[in-house]
Amino acid sequence: MKKRKAVRRRLIPSGEATIGPFFPPRYVDAGANDLSQLEDRKADGEVIEIAGTVRQEDGTPLDNLVVEIWQADANGIYRHVADPRHREADTKFFGWGRAATDKEGRYAFRTIRPGAPEGRARHVNVMLMFSGLMRILKTTMFFPGEQANEADPVYRAVPKARRKLLVAREEALGRYRFDLKLRGAHETPFFDD
Amino acid sequence: MAYVIVPRHERTQPLRIVPGYPQTPWRNPKQPLIRRPPTLSELTGPSEVAKRVKLLGGDIAGHGEAQAIGQLMHLKLRVVDEDGTPVGGTVVEIWQANGAGRYIHPNDDEHAPVDRNFYGAARLLTDERGLLELRTVKPGAYPVPTKDGWWRPPHIHFSIFGKVWLSRLVTQMYFPGEPLNGQDRILNAVPDTAARARLVARLVPPTGDPANALVFEHQIVLRGRKATPSQP
Repeated sequence: MKKRKAVRRRLIPSGEATIGPFFPPRYVDAGANDLSQLEDRKADGEVIEIAGTVRQEDGTPLDNLVVEIWQADANGIYRHVADPRHREADTKFFGWGRAATDKEGRYAFRTIRPGAPEGRARHVNVMLMFSGLMRILKTTMFFPGEQANEADPVYRAVPKARRKLLVAREEALGRYRFDLKLRGAHETPFFDD
Repeated sequence: MAYVIVPRHERTQPLRIVPGYPQTPWRNPKQPLIRRPPTLSELTGPSEVAKRVKLLGGDIAGHGEAQAIGQLMHLKLRVVDEDGTPVGGTVVEIWQANGAGRYIHPNDDEHAPVDRNFYGAARLLTDERGLLELRTVKPGAYPVPTKDGWWRPPHIHFSIFGKVWLSRLVTQMYFPGEPLNGQDRILNAVPDTAARARLVARLVPPTGDPANALVFEHQIVLRGRKATPSQP
């Protein structure tokens, strides 16, 4: 009997568009930038702060830009079925957060220091949405002083001279600064997935 | 279940720097974007986002004395992945201008009146068929403050989470037969004609539920499909 190969018709992903200037302020829920607790229960691990300023080419800070992050828990586990270890994920840690920049272009998150996921250095996945960004910009924040960075496949995908732009600065114990420049001098490396 | 995300056809996605959209040359990267191998970080993502954000009802047109001004409409939105499989249980954020083309936002100026019966935002979950329904008023067109007087056609904004980090989508939906569609710099930033057409909703015969509303259907395709088991 002849076996017929199932033809899977593939749909084409919808076109992206800018979030525009009018993303409702109420979509940045109070507390959405605090990943250190879930339903009033403290996540495992060391609480850290990640903050920075987002600027455009001429250095103007960008107001009302939406920043979202996604990260593993303190043991490097993602709260998602595709992570083989997800059953062991910290039930007190959600892993996702959202913030919007203020008039000075500043955003801030309170979270926990992520563990290193399998085959990766510890890192935080970052997404930017803004008026005039026709597509979401995606980047990855790495931690300073981590030997594992040099072996990380995403870090290594970035040309050597630009890698340091993906490494946050530790301003004080547990306080990280990760500035983002969308274009021009010191432009943050962004990924094309 | 492993999910696969492959690069998209460039022409189905908008240009990053759009002629006549003066902010775009300041904000979009000059350096080439970097291809990276997808890892667990990109192929996982927040699920059950409704645990972290507040849902807002799907009837935003108001009723009786508090009904918003404008053409009442009902949107049936379907969210699927590249296999056509419904994406159920995902958070969809929706926002739009009122019937006169004004947003409730501190950054919108006073070109048109605020409708105090209309806030213009909903945050909903798709059901297991990937569907959600929205009762609203049709948004008005509005002028973009550029020197050459460009007007945005009526459109509705969506932000959708999907199953993994890379399936996240921010997009806009347009209405069929609008004369401003052909001139809109954002819609027309997508080079491929068919891809643009897929951003336009379909007008369907009214169902009578809800009463007196135009009914539109629209499908959104998120990135990602099931991994094909490797052939022996």
